[in-house]
Amino acid sequence: MSAPSGTAAGPNDGAPPAPATSGGALAAPPRRRTALFAAVAVGLVVVLLVAVLATRDYSGTRTADSPLLGRPAPAVEGPSLLDGRTFDLDAERGRWVLVNFFATWCVPCQAEHPELVRFDAAHAVAGDARVISVVFSDDADDVRRFFEQRGGEWPVIDDPVGRVALEWGVTGVPESFLVGPDGTVQAKVIGGIRFDSLEDLLAQAQGVAHGGGGEAGAGPPGGQG
Amino acid sequence: MNAALGTAGVTLGLAGAVLGVVVLAVGLRRRRRALAAGEPPAGAEALLHLGRPFAWLVLAGAVLATVAMEIALVTHDFSLTYVAENGSRATPLLYTVASLWAALEGSIILWALVLSGFLAAVAHRFRHQASDPLVAWATLTMLAVAVFFFALMLGPADPFTTVAGAVPADGPGPNPLLQNHPLMAIHPPLLYLGYVGFTVPFAFAVAALVTGRLDEGWLAATRRWALAAWGFLTVGIVLGAWWSYEVLGWGGFWAWDPVENASFLPWLTGTAYIHSVMVQQRRGMLRVWNLSLLLATFSLTILGTFLTRSGVLDSVHSFTESPIGPWLLSFFGVVVAVILGLIAWRGDRLRAPGRIDSPVSREGAFLANNVVFAAFAFVVLLGTVFPLVVEAVNGERLSVGTPYFNRMTTPLGLALLFLMAVAPALPWRKASGELLRTRLQWPAWGGAGAVAGAVLLGARGLAPLLAFGLGGFAAAGALRQLALSVRAARRRGASVVAGLVGRSSGGMIVHLGVVLVAVAFAAASAYLTGEEVRLAPGQSATVAGHTVTYQGMNPPAETPQKTVFSARVQVDGGVVYEPALNRFPNATQTIGTPSVRTSLTDDVYLTLVAMPEEPGDPALIGVLVQPLVAWLWIGGGVMALGTLLALWPGERRRRVPAPSPAPAEERRAGGDAGEAGEAGEDTPAPAVVGP
Amino acid sequence: MSARRWLPWLGLAVVVAVSLVVGAGGSGGPPTDAERKTALASELRCPTCRGQSVRDSDAPAAAAIRAEIGRRVDEGQSDEEILAYIDGKFPESLRLTPPASGVGALVWALPVVALVAAVAGLAAAFRRWRAEPLPAPSDDDRALVERARSSGP
Repeated sequence: MSAPSGTAAGPNDGAPPAPATSGGALAAPPRRRTALFAAVAVGLVVVLLVAVLATRDYSGTRTADSPLLGRPAPAVEGPSLLDGRTFDLDAERGRWVLVNFFATWCVPCQAEHPELVRFDAAHAVAGDARVISVVFSDDADDVRRFFEQRGGEWPVIDDPVGRVALEWGVTGVPESFLVGPDGTVQAKVIGGIRFDSLEDLLAQAQGVAHGGGGEAGAGPPGGQG
Repeated sequence: MNAALGTAGVTLGLAGAVLGVVVLAVGLRRRRRALAAGEPPAGAEALLHLGRPFAWLVLAGAVLATVAMEIALVTHDFSLTYVAENGSRATPLLYTVASLWAALEGSIILWALVLSGFLAAVAHRFRHQASDPLVAWATLTMLAVAVFFFALMLGPADPFTTVAGAVPADGPGPNPLLQNHPLMAIHPPLLYLGYVGFTVPFAFAVAALVTGRLDEGWLAATRRWALAAWGFLTVGIVLGAWWSYEVLGWGGFWAWDPVENASFLPWLTGTAYIHSVMVQQRRGMLRVWNLSLLLATFSLTILGTFLTRSGVLDSVHSFTESPIGPWLLSFFGVVVAVILGLIAWRGDRLRAPGRIDSPVSREGAFLANNVVFAAFAFVVLLGTVFPLVVEAVNGERLSVGTPYFNRMTTPLGLALLFLMAVAPALPWRKASGELLRTRLQWPAWGGAGAVAGAVLLGARGLAPLLAFGLGGFAAAGALRQLALSVRAARRRGASVVAGLVGRSSGGMIVHLGVVLVAVAFAAASAYLTGEEVRLAPGQSATVAGHTVTYQGMNPPAETPQKTVFSARVQVDGGVVYEPALNRFPNATQTIGTPSVRTSLTDDVYLTLVAMPEEPGDPALIGVLVQPLVAWLWIGGGVMALGTLLALWPGERRRRVPAPSPAPAEERRAGGDAGEAGEAGEDTPAPAVVGP
Repeated sequence: MSARRWLPWLGLAVVVAVSLVVGAGGSGGPPTDAERKTALASELRCPTCRGQSVRDSDAPAAAAIRAEIGRRVDEGQSDEEILAYIDGKFPESLRLTPPASGVGALVWALPVVALVAAVAGLAAAFRRWRAEPLPAPSDDDRALVERARSSGP
């Protein structure tokens, strides 16, 4: 490897002059401005790219709707893990059902559990709404222990091969769907849920439902942490 | 204590870098003024020589920070947030040490350490030319990059923050995926050596643009640095693929994941550079293009770091989310703005006159190589950022995945194999048909033999057959060059080894490695057979000619670190393999550990998909049979070997006299001899080649 | 003379052509169900994990989709039906192959346009170079030749 050229900026001590600096007889003055144009073009593209990148959110926090909104809810049926009694979502017509996908290992699920207990209890007497849970990739014994320790007496349906979660398009836990008295999906909540916002969501969905049907899927998916 | 030590190190590094930049900038300014005024620039040159100690200061700071962090990790000093979040008492020492790069803040320390290592190496290597403005500008550029990374560590990615409140007694340990395989201990540092190593040629490229000295001096000065960085990056990428094969449990080695793409992009532009730079050394052409490739390589490492560290893209590898995204993006913006400004300002004045006589020539092949590599890099970059762009344009969310990349890059890869076969046989300037017929005949038969042989062995499908054929063609071409080089060495009385050492032969050995990787990649992706079989203890299943027998589960192995549930699976009535599921106490999901029966012909890749509920129940076992996978790693090793041989100082270089105090003299004596040596090495002269 | 020169290449062309015809044409029949299942699973992104395909992921959601694909392939549904069914379940598209229409088509078209432009630019450069008179060797060239000569074996 040779060292870089000598100490002076000019042609160095007797070495053949570099074409760029002295160029010999043939170093015609540049006629084209290719480099300039290329630099400007690349610059424009990069500015656009940086603008796009700078305005993107963190990918994990983006939420989205569900293609299920306004459509009949996919089937959820089977024996509850807690008491073995058979549950069928279709038999719940006439009241609101919050279908909650959860796992015991998921921290937001643990956090939202008391809120769900409160919501279920608040509507237990009136019987106008209830909670059911679908297990997402978890061990049945862990789930039983979870409910023993943290309360909650609603049907808990196991989903060992994940087919229910697939039918509902679940992309992670916790996710909850509000199913109306007519058996259609009214709203979807991504992430941990809170009692107050759940009540708001229910009231809003009821208002829409009573207000003559209209756009069935108008329930705003209000995800909150 | 460790926090104070580490922060002191970071501060020292930052101070050293900032002062170094200032001193060099002042020195360069004074020197220019002195020259303009016709005075001797002695004082200014003394200042420029003063820049070197600052490089050592920066290195000292980085070493101090690294040592502080490692002490904190190894002694489980959970008062440091980083240790509390990434360390645990149960983690084995190897992974504790490697936790330095398990999360963002630590990996910035590693980045700074490697960068200052290169900085000090440059300062030392060019110590006798410190007053040369080219070297001064290059050092200044590297110091400026160091300023950025040290500033990151004082600001948004501070690795030495301490936990608020009580010091925890233990931590969760690094991400389970990062403590599953010893490769984790060497793959990231090698990748960083590659990434950061390109800072050196980048700095010289900037210096060349600033000083207007686009002659071949800076190229020669940085050729080995670029080659070494390329070698590290190559090995880092191959080891990364190996790690994902051994750890992630899906039997693949390349998923076109954003993080993989981020490391692949600089590799593509860097590879284009180490080829096209030969055109400049030989013909003095493509100067601005070569600079642009280096500048692009460096910018892409920054962009890649942004993409993978800011969390804008989904990736299995983005283990951390952090607030440094905007910083990296701004740095990328500044770097690109400076680069493009320099090229716009200088580029057209520095273009060298010249022409390429014929596309069928060595330089023509290098041009084609560069077009294909550039297109390759464009496809990878576009595919990686496209979902973000579309979302910004119309809010639509779409994915660009493996099917896209495979379809787009297969023709480009085949074109590269073809060029690799033909280019080494092409002479500079112009090739005659007769010459090509002579030189290409046996390599072409190598390719034809490979296709025919593959078909006879039962290989089907156009794309893999073309890959085998062109691979055989390229390998035979490379072997022919090596044979000629060895013969030439023997003829001048040197040993066989002497014929294999040097840039030209090393390059051909790298080509052989690339062929191995390409053929293995094509075979493994085209001819994989996978099945999930549910087997009761004692039952067998046959997948692609291999019999796997499930013997039962081992008793769960509990360690403080994790609980391992492993199955015993016998392959072909021989060795028993133990694919496992690991449950880490602080992780939400079980993590599989595949077990692989490797052989030179095919791999049987076993995973435990689902544990049996009771020990006697059937288990669900994934069996994946892929041919030739082992050759990916062997090919990677061959590429590393070739790079080493290309870097090995040739005989002529070792005869260079010891550096004399007068730099100008040294250059005349050593530099020219070295360059002549390279020129001679580049291609065997036609007289030697033509039979 | 001429025959001796060309015959080996002719033989070579025949060997390659026959091999490719046998190898590329003879892959035989439509893909098996197992192959279809693998191919379909690699066309879809796993909904719960970051950037892995359904085939590659060991996440439960991916396993569920693989099972669903298996069920539907066994029922005899077409590839497009299966992909559309599963994709329709999720709020965001899971397709890993970007669409060939709309904005998404740009990702296919742009590289081709860029490559064509680059090749056209190079072709223009070569034509210009050919039209220009050959420049006489510069001092630099001479020096290079001199150095190469003096160091040659």
